[in-house]
Amino acid sequence: MADTKNEASNKKGNWKKELGIVLLVTGVLGAIGWYFFPPIMPHVQLAAEPVSHTIFASKWFGEEGFTITNTLTAMFLVDLVVLALVFAVQKAVKSGDLVPRGISGAFEALIEAIYNLSESTAGKWTADIFPYFATFFIIVLIANYMELLPGVDSIGWLAKVAPNAHGYAARGALLVKEPGHYTVVPWVRVLSTDLNFTLALALVSVTMTQVIGVKALGLPYFGKFFNIKALFTVKPFWMGLIDFFVSLLEIISELAKIISFSFRLFGNLFAGSVMLFVIGFLVPIWFQSAVLLLEAFVGVIQALVFGLLTLMFMSLATHPHGGEHEEAHA
Amino acid sequence: MEQTILHAARFIGAGLAMIGALGGGIGIGLSAQGAVQGIARNPDAAGTVQTNMILGIAFSEAVAIYCLVIALLILFV
Repeated sequence: MADTKNEASNKKGNWKKELGIVLLVTGVLGAIGWYFFPPIMPHVQLAAEPVSHTIFASKWFGEEGFTITNTLTAMFLVDLVVLALVFAVQKAVKSGDLVPRGISGAFEALIEAIYNLSESTAGKWTADIFPYFATFFIIVLIANYMELLPGVDSIGWLAKVAPNAHGYAARGALLVKEPGHYTVVPWVRVLSTDLNFTLALALVSVTMTQVIGVKALGLPYFGKFFNIKALFTVKPFWMGLIDFFVSLLEIISELAKIISFSFRLFGNLFAGSVMLFVIGFLVPIWFQSAVLLLEAFVGVIQALVFGLLTLMFMSLATHPHGGEHEEAHA
Repeated sequence: MEQTILHAARFIGAGLAMIGALGGGIGIGLSAQGAVQGIARNPDAAGTVQTNMILGIAFSEAVAIYCLVIALLILFV
Protein backbone atom coordinates (compact mmCIF):
# COMPACT_ATOMS: atom_id res chain seq x y z
CA MET A 1 0.00 0.00 0.00
CA ALA A 2 2.68 2.43 1.03
CA ASP A 3 4.65 1.35 -2.01
CA THR A 4 1.88 2.16 -4.48
CA LYS A 5 1.24 5.48 -2.81
CA ASN A 6 4.88 6.29 -3.03
CA GLU A 7 4.91 5.28 -6.68
CA ALA A 8 1.87 7.40 -7.42
CA SER A 9 3.39 10.45 -5.79
CA ASN A 10 6.58 9.71 -7.69
CA LYS A 11 4.63 9.62 -10.93
CA LYS A 12 2.94 12.86 -10.05
CA GLY A 13 6.29 14.43 -9.31
CA ASN A 14 7.59 13.23 -12.66
CA TRP A 15 4.60 14.68 -14.42
CA LYS A 16 5.21 18.05 -12.83
CA LYS A 17 8.88 17.87 -13.68
CA GLU A 18 8.09 17.09 -17.33
CA LEU A 19 5.69 20.01 -17.53
CA GLY A 20 8.38 22.25 -16.07
CA ILE A 21 10.90 21.04 -18.64
CA VAL A 22 8.44 21.60 -21.50
CA LEU A 23 7.64 25.10 -20.24
CA LEU A 24 11.32 25.90 -19.88
CA VAL A 25 12.24 24.63 -23.36
CA THR A 26 9.35 26.42 -25.07
CA GLY A 27 10.14 29.56 -23.09
CA VAL A 28 13.80 29.51 -24.11
CA LEU A 29 12.92 28.81 -27.75
CA GLY A 30 10.33 31.59 -27.66
CA ALA A 31 12.85 33.98 -26.16
CA ILE A 32 15.40 33.12 -28.88
CA GLY A 33 12.79 33.63 -31.58
CA TRP A 34 11.72 36.84 -29.92
CA TYR A 35 15.31 38.09 -29.92
CA PHE A 36 16.09 37.34 -33.55
CA PHE A 37 12.68 37.97 -35.09
CA PRO A 38 10.95 40.47 -32.82
CA PRO A 39 7.16 40.22 -33.13
CA ILE A 40 5.45 43.00 -35.00
CA MET A 41 2.01 44.47 -34.72
CA PRO A 42 0.25 42.70 -37.57
CA HIS A 43 -1.77 44.35 -40.26
CA VAL A 44 -5.43 43.70 -39.50
CA GLN A 45 -7.88 43.70 -42.35
CA LEU A 46 -11.60 43.13 -42.07
CA ALA A 47 -12.35 42.01 -45.61
CA ALA A 48 -10.90 38.75 -46.89
CA GLU A 49 -7.72 39.21 -48.92
CA PRO A 50 -7.37 37.82 -52.44
CA VAL A 51 -4.61 35.22 -52.72
CA SER A 52 -4.80 34.28 -56.39
CA HIS A 53 -4.47 36.02 -59.70
CA THR A 54 -7.61 37.07 -61.43
CA ILE A 55 -9.44 34.14 -62.91
CA PHE A 56 -12.35 33.89 -65.33
CA ALA A 57 -11.77 37.41 -66.64
CA SER A 58 -13.90 37.29 -69.74
CA LYS A 59 -16.92 38.71 -71.50
CA TRP A 60 -19.33 36.68 -69.40
CA PHE A 61 -17.83 37.13 -65.94
CA GLY A 62 -16.83 40.76 -66.35
CA GLU A 63 -13.47 42.26 -67.18
CA GLU A 64 -12.35 42.19 -63.54
CA GLY A 65 -13.10 38.52 -63.15
CA PHE A 66 -12.79 36.84 -59.79
CA THR A 67 -10.04 36.27 -57.30
CA ILE A 68 -9.84 33.43 -54.81
CA THR A 69 -9.81 34.90 -51.31
CA ASN A 70 -8.14 33.25 -48.36
CA THR A 71 -11.47 32.53 -46.68
CA LEU A 72 -12.60 30.76 -49.84
CA THR A 73 -9.68 28.35 -49.56
CA ALA A 74 -10.74 27.83 -45.94
CA MET A 75 -14.25 27.04 -47.19
CA PHE A 76 -12.82 24.39 -49.53
CA LEU A 77 -10.81 22.93 -46.64
CA VAL A 78 -13.89 22.80 -44.41
CA ASP A 79 -15.82 21.08 -47.19
CA LEU A 80 -13.03 18.54 -47.59
CA VAL A 81 -13.00 17.82 -43.85
CA VAL A 82 -16.78 17.41 -43.75
CA LEU A 83 -16.68 15.09 -46.78
CA ALA A 84 -13.89 13.04 -45.21
CA LEU A 85 -15.93 12.69 -42.03
CA VAL A 86 -18.98 11.69 -44.05
CA PHE A 87 -17.09 8.95 -45.89
CA ALA A 88 -15.44 7.70 -42.70
CA VAL A 89 -18.77 7.41 -40.91
CA GLN A 90 -20.47 5.90 -43.94
CA LYS A 91 -17.77 3.26 -44.21
CA ALA A 92 -18.17 2.41 -40.54
CA VAL A 93 -21.95 2.18 -40.86
CA LYS A 94 -21.76 0.02 -44.01
CA SER A 95 -19.30 -2.40 -42.41
CA GLY A 96 -22.15 -3.69 -40.26
CA ASP A 97 -20.12 -3.37 -37.11
CA LEU A 98 -22.62 -2.72 -34.34
CA VAL A 99 -20.04 -1.20 -32.01
CA PRO A 100 -18.88 2.11 -33.48
CA ARG A 101 -15.19 2.82 -33.04
CA GLY A 102 -12.95 5.82 -33.52
CA ILE A 103 -14.45 8.64 -35.54
CA SER A 104 -17.80 6.97 -36.03
CA GLY A 105 -18.09 6.36 -32.29
CA ALA A 106 -17.39 10.00 -31.54
CA PHE A 107 -19.91 11.01 -34.16
CA GLU A 108 -22.56 8.71 -32.73
CA ALA A 109 -22.10 10.28 -29.30
CA LEU A 110 -22.29 13.79 -30.78
CA ILE A 111 -25.35 13.08 -32.90
CA GLU A 112 -27.11 11.35 -30.01
CA ALA A 113 -26.51 14.31 -27.71
CA ILE A 114 -27.72 16.97 -30.13
CA TYR A 115 -30.61 14.78 -31.34
CA ASN A 116 -31.92 14.43 -27.79
CA LEU A 117 -31.55 18.18 -27.35
CA SER A 118 -33.53 18.94 -30.49
CA GLU A 119 -36.17 16.34 -29.64
CA SER A 120 -36.82 17.95 -26.29
CA THR A 121 -37.31 21.33 -27.99
CA ALA A 122 -38.88 20.55 -31.34
CA GLY A 123 -41.17 17.67 -30.38
CA LYS A 124 -42.85 16.09 -33.39
CA TRP A 125 -41.09 18.38 -35.86
CA THR A 126 -37.67 16.97 -34.94
CA ALA A 127 -37.30 15.16 -38.26
CA ASP A 128 -37.69 18.46 -40.13
CA ILE A 129 -35.63 20.68 -37.87
CA PHE A 130 -32.79 18.45 -36.73
CA PRO A 131 -30.89 18.39 -40.08
CA TYR A 132 -30.48 22.19 -40.06
CA PHE A 133 -29.37 22.21 -36.44
CA ALA A 134 -26.82 19.44 -36.99
CA THR A 135 -25.51 20.91 -40.26
CA PHE A 136 -25.01 24.37 -38.81
CA PHE A 137 -23.40 22.98 -35.69
CA ILE A 138 -20.94 20.73 -37.49
CA ILE A 139 -19.93 23.14 -40.24
CA VAL A 140 -19.52 26.10 -37.88
CA LEU A 141 -17.60 23.97 -35.41
CA ILE A 142 -15.14 22.79 -38.06
CA ALA A 143 -14.84 26.31 -39.48
CA ASN A 144 -14.10 27.73 -36.02
CA TYR A 145 -11.66 25.03 -35.00
CA MET A 146 -9.55 25.73 -38.06
CA GLU A 147 -8.20 28.61 -35.99
CA LEU A 148 -6.36 26.09 -33.81
CA LEU A 149 -4.32 24.65 -36.69
CA PRO A 150 -0.77 25.97 -36.99
CA GLY A 151 -0.18 27.71 -40.32
CA VAL A 152 -3.68 29.10 -40.60
CA ASP A 153 -3.54 32.92 -40.50
CA SER A 154 0.27 32.86 -40.53
CA ILE A 155 1.65 31.35 -43.77
CA GLY A 156 1.16 33.14 -47.04
CA TRP A 157 2.37 35.62 -49.63
CA LEU A 158 4.04 38.90 -48.81
CA ALA A 159 2.06 41.89 -49.96
CA LYS A 160 3.10 45.51 -49.99
CA VAL A 161 1.09 47.84 -47.77
CA ALA A 162 1.01 51.58 -47.16
CA PRO A 163 4.12 52.87 -45.36
CA ASN A 164 2.27 53.94 -42.21
CA ALA A 165 0.45 50.61 -41.84
CA HIS A 166 1.55 47.88 -39.48
CA GLY A 167 3.66 45.13 -40.99
CA TYR A 168 7.22 43.96 -41.53
CA ALA A 169 9.78 46.47 -42.65
CA ALA A 170 11.53 44.89 -45.62
CA ARG A 171 14.77 43.16 -44.68
CA GLY A 172 17.21 40.94 -46.47
CA ALA A 173 15.83 37.91 -44.71
CA LEU A 174 12.43 38.51 -46.20
CA LEU A 175 13.69 38.08 -49.77
CA VAL A 176 11.84 41.03 -51.19
CA LYS A 177 12.96 42.91 -54.25
CA GLU A 178 12.07 46.48 -53.29
CA PRO A 179 12.15 48.13 -49.87
CA GLY A 180 8.94 49.14 -48.14
CA HIS A 181 6.38 47.84 -45.73
CA TYR A 182 5.12 44.34 -46.22
CA THR A 183 2.44 42.23 -44.63
CA VAL A 184 1.64 38.55 -44.79
CA VAL A 185 -1.49 37.66 -46.71
CA PRO A 186 -2.26 34.20 -45.34
CA TRP A 187 -3.31 31.46 -47.74
CA VAL A 188 -5.92 30.26 -45.30
CA ARG A 189 -7.84 32.52 -42.95
CA VAL A 190 -10.43 31.38 -40.44
CA LEU A 191 -13.67 30.98 -42.34
CA SER A 192 -15.95 32.60 -39.78
CA THR A 193 -13.99 35.85 -39.95
CA ASP A 194 -15.58 36.52 -43.32
CA LEU A 195 -18.95 38.23 -43.04
CA ASN A 196 -20.08 36.64 -46.31
CA PHE A 197 -19.97 33.17 -44.79
CA THR A 198 -21.89 34.03 -41.64
CA LEU A 199 -24.40 36.09 -43.59
CA ALA A 200 -25.01 33.15 -45.94
CA LEU A 201 -25.61 30.82 -43.00
CA ALA A 202 -27.95 33.37 -41.38
CA LEU A 203 -29.93 33.76 -44.60
CA VAL A 204 -30.32 30.00 -44.92
CA SER A 205 -31.38 29.73 -41.29
CA VAL A 206 -33.99 32.51 -41.37
CA THR A 207 -35.38 31.51 -44.78
CA MET A 208 -35.78 27.88 -43.80
CA THR A 209 -37.48 29.00 -40.57
CA GLN A 210 -40.23 30.55 -42.71
CA VAL A 211 -40.41 27.42 -44.87
CA ILE A 212 -40.81 25.18 -41.84
CA GLY A 213 -43.39 27.54 -40.36
CA VAL A 214 -45.47 27.35 -43.53
CA LYS A 215 -45.05 23.58 -43.62
CA ALA A 216 -46.30 23.27 -40.04
CA LEU A 217 -49.15 25.79 -40.03
CA GLY A 218 -49.94 26.41 -43.68
CA LEU A 219 -50.89 29.89 -44.81
CA PRO A 220 -52.09 30.99 -41.33
CA TYR A 221 -48.38 31.16 -40.47
CA PHE A 222 -48.29 34.58 -42.12
CA GLY A 223 -50.94 35.75 -39.66
CA LYS A 224 -47.96 36.22 -37.39
CA PHE A 225 -46.75 39.05 -39.64
CA PHE A 226 -50.08 40.45 -40.90
CA ASN A 227 -52.52 39.98 -38.04
CA ILE A 228 -55.63 40.90 -40.03
CA LYS A 229 -57.75 38.65 -37.83
CA ALA A 230 -57.20 40.94 -34.84
CA LEU A 231 -58.70 43.86 -36.81
CA PHE A 232 -62.08 42.12 -36.83
CA THR A 233 -62.15 40.00 -33.68
CA VAL A 234 -60.62 42.18 -30.96
CA LYS A 235 -63.47 44.19 -29.45
CA PRO A 236 -62.46 47.84 -29.20
CA PHE A 237 -61.40 48.50 -32.79
CA TRP A 238 -58.31 50.52 -31.89
CA MET A 239 -56.98 47.66 -29.72
CA GLY A 240 -57.18 45.42 -32.78
CA LEU A 241 -55.38 48.10 -34.76
CA ILE A 242 -52.58 48.08 -32.19
CA ASP A 243 -52.37 44.29 -32.44
CA PHE A 244 -52.09 44.62 -36.21
CA PHE A 245 -49.19 47.06 -35.99
CA VAL A 246 -47.46 44.90 -33.38
CA SER A 247 -47.67 42.00 -35.82
CA LEU A 248 -46.01 44.21 -38.45
CA LEU A 249 -43.12 44.63 -36.03
CA GLU A 250 -42.58 40.86 -36.21
CA ILE A 251 -41.29 41.37 -39.77
CA ILE A 252 -38.59 43.70 -38.46
CA SER A 253 -37.67 41.24 -35.72
CA GLU A 254 -37.38 38.55 -38.38
CA LEU A 255 -35.00 40.74 -40.38
CA ALA A 256 -33.04 41.61 -37.24
CA LYS A 257 -32.44 37.89 -36.76
CA ILE A 258 -30.34 37.84 -39.94
CA ILE A 259 -28.16 40.65 -38.63
CA SER A 260 -27.84 39.21 -35.15
CA PHE A 261 -27.01 35.70 -36.42
CA SER A 262 -24.33 36.89 -38.81
CA PHE A 263 -22.76 39.56 -36.60
CA ARG A 264 -22.64 37.32 -33.53
CA LEU A 265 -20.57 34.61 -35.18
CA PHE A 266 -18.47 37.03 -37.22
CA GLY A 267 -17.79 39.36 -34.30
CA ASN A 268 -16.81 36.61 -31.89
CA LEU A 269 -14.41 34.89 -34.25
CA PHE A 270 -12.90 38.03 -35.77
CA ALA A 271 -12.34 39.53 -32.33
CA GLY A 272 -10.74 36.23 -31.28
CA SER A 273 -8.37 36.33 -34.27
CA VAL A 274 -7.39 39.94 -33.62
CA MET A 275 -6.85 39.14 -29.95
CA LEU A 276 -4.56 36.25 -30.90
CA PHE A 277 -2.46 38.53 -33.14
CA VAL A 278 -2.23 41.29 -30.58
CA ILE A 279 -1.42 38.96 -27.68
CA GLY A 280 1.29 37.39 -29.84
CA PHE A 281 2.72 40.87 -30.32
CA LEU A 282 2.53 41.90 -26.66
CA VAL A 283 3.48 38.66 -24.86
CA PRO A 284 5.30 36.42 -27.34
CA ILE A 285 5.96 33.56 -24.90
CA TRP A 286 3.36 31.06 -23.55
CA PHE A 287 0.44 33.41 -23.23
CA GLN A 288 -0.87 32.89 -26.75
CA SER A 289 -1.48 29.22 -25.92
CA ALA A 290 -3.81 30.23 -23.08
CA VAL A 291 -5.72 32.49 -25.46
CA LEU A 292 -5.92 29.58 -27.93
CA LEU A 293 -7.56 27.52 -25.18
CA LEU A 294 -10.12 30.29 -24.71
CA GLU A 295 -10.68 30.34 -28.48
CA ALA A 296 -11.36 26.60 -28.46
CA PHE A 297 -14.08 27.24 -25.89
CA VAL A 298 -15.53 30.18 -27.81
CA GLY A 299 -15.51 28.15 -31.03
CA VAL A 300 -17.63 25.33 -29.67
CA ILE A 301 -19.97 27.69 -27.77
CA GLN A 302 -20.61 29.82 -30.85
CA ALA A 303 -21.24 26.77 -33.01
CA LEU A 304 -23.68 25.46 -30.40
CA VAL A 305 -25.40 28.83 -30.07
CA PHE A 306 -25.83 29.18 -33.83
CA GLY A 307 -27.38 25.72 -34.08
CA LEU A 308 -29.42 26.10 -30.91
CA LEU A 309 -30.91 29.46 -31.93
CA THR A 310 -31.85 28.01 -35.32
CA LEU A 311 -33.52 25.14 -33.48
CA MET A 312 -35.37 27.49 -31.13
CA PHE A 313 -36.62 29.81 -33.89
CA MET A 314 -37.70 26.91 -36.07
CA SER A 315 -39.61 25.20 -33.27
CA LEU A 316 -41.17 28.56 -32.34
CA ALA A 317 -42.33 28.88 -35.95
CA THR A 318 -44.12 25.52 -35.76
CA HIS A 319 -46.26 26.64 -32.82
CA PRO A 320 -49.52 28.35 -33.76
CA HIS A 321 -49.60 32.04 -32.94
CA GLY A 322 -52.38 31.74 -30.36
CA GLY A 323 -53.90 33.96 -27.69
CA GLU A 324 -51.03 34.06 -25.25
CA HIS A 325 -48.18 36.37 -26.11
CA GLU A 326 -45.17 34.54 -24.81
CA GLU A 327 -42.53 35.11 -27.46
CA ALA A 328 -40.12 37.87 -26.58
CA HIS A 329 -37.12 37.15 -28.73
CA ALA A 330 -35.14 39.79 -30.49
CA MET B 1 -1.37 66.67 -39.39
CA GLU B 2 -4.79 65.89 -40.75
CA GLN B 3 -3.86 62.21 -40.88
CA THR B 4 -2.78 62.28 -37.25
CA ILE B 5 -6.02 63.88 -36.12
CA LEU B 6 -7.97 61.32 -38.14
CA HIS B 7 -5.98 58.54 -36.54
CA ALA B 8 -6.59 59.88 -33.03
CA ALA B 9 -10.28 60.36 -33.74
CA ARG B 10 -10.50 56.75 -34.89
CA PHE B 11 -9.12 55.46 -31.62
CA ILE B 12 -11.42 57.74 -29.61
CA GLY B 13 -14.42 56.62 -31.63
CA ALA B 14 -13.59 52.95 -31.22
CA GLY B 15 -13.21 53.42 -27.47
CA LEU B 16 -16.53 55.24 -27.25
CA ALA B 17 -18.24 52.55 -29.29
CA MET B 18 -17.19 49.93 -26.77
CA ILE B 19 -19.14 51.65 -23.98
CA GLY B 20 -22.11 49.68 -25.22
CA ALA B 21 -20.42 46.50 -24.01
CA LEU B 22 -21.51 47.64 -20.53
CA GLY B 23 -25.07 46.58 -21.22
CA GLY B 24 -24.02 43.17 -22.51
CA GLY B 25 -21.91 42.61 -19.39
CA ILE B 26 -24.77 43.50 -17.07
CA GLY B 27 -27.14 41.26 -19.03
CA ILE B 28 -24.79 38.27 -18.91
CA GLY B 29 -24.26 38.75 -15.20
CA LEU B 30 -27.98 38.92 -14.50
CA SER B 31 -28.79 35.83 -16.55
CA ALA B 32 -25.99 33.84 -14.88
CA GLN B 33 -27.27 35.01 -11.49
CA GLY B 34 -30.79 33.85 -12.27
CA ALA B 35 -29.57 30.51 -13.59
CA VAL B 36 -27.39 29.82 -10.55
CA GLN B 37 -30.25 30.65 -8.19
CA GLY B 38 -32.55 28.39 -10.17
CA ILE B 39 -30.06 25.52 -10.09
CA ALA B 40 -29.49 26.00 -6.37
CA ARG B 41 -33.21 25.66 -5.71
CA ASN B 42 -33.81 22.84 -8.14
CA PRO B 43 -30.59 20.97 -8.95
CA ASP B 44 -32.46 18.40 -11.07
CA ALA B 45 -33.30 21.07 -13.63
CA ALA B 46 -29.64 22.01 -14.09
CA GLY B 47 -29.49 20.77 -17.69
CA THR B 48 -32.43 22.76 -19.05
CA VAL B 49 -31.55 25.82 -17.00
CA GLN B 50 -28.03 25.71 -18.37
CA THR B 51 -29.19 25.45 -21.99
CA ASN B 52 -31.56 28.37 -21.58
CA MET B 53 -28.90 30.36 -19.77
CA ILE B 54 -26.47 29.89 -22.65
CA LEU B 55 -29.19 31.03 -25.05
CA GLY B 56 -29.89 34.12 -22.97
CA ILE B 57 -26.21 34.86 -22.67
CA ALA B 58 -25.85 34.59 -26.42
CA PHE B 59 -28.66 37.11 -26.88
CA SER B 60 -27.23 39.68 -24.51
CA GLU B 61 -23.69 39.02 -25.68
CA ALA B 62 -24.77 39.80 -29.23
CA VAL B 63 -25.36 43.42 -28.20
CA ALA B 64 -21.80 43.72 -26.93
CA ILE B 65 -20.56 42.03 -30.09
CA TYR B 66 -22.34 44.65 -32.23
CA CYS B 67 -20.36 47.31 -30.38
CA LEU B 68 -17.19 45.34 -30.97
CA VAL B 69 -17.95 45.02 -34.68
CA ILE B 70 -18.57 48.77 -34.91
CA ALA B 71 -15.30 49.46 -33.09
CA LEU B 72 -13.42 47.10 -35.40
CA LEU B 73 -15.06 48.70 -38.43
CA ILE B 74 -13.95 52.13 -37.24
CA LEU B 75 -10.42 50.92 -36.59
CA PHE B 76 -9.68 48.73 -39.58
CA VAL B 77 -11.83 49.81 -42.50
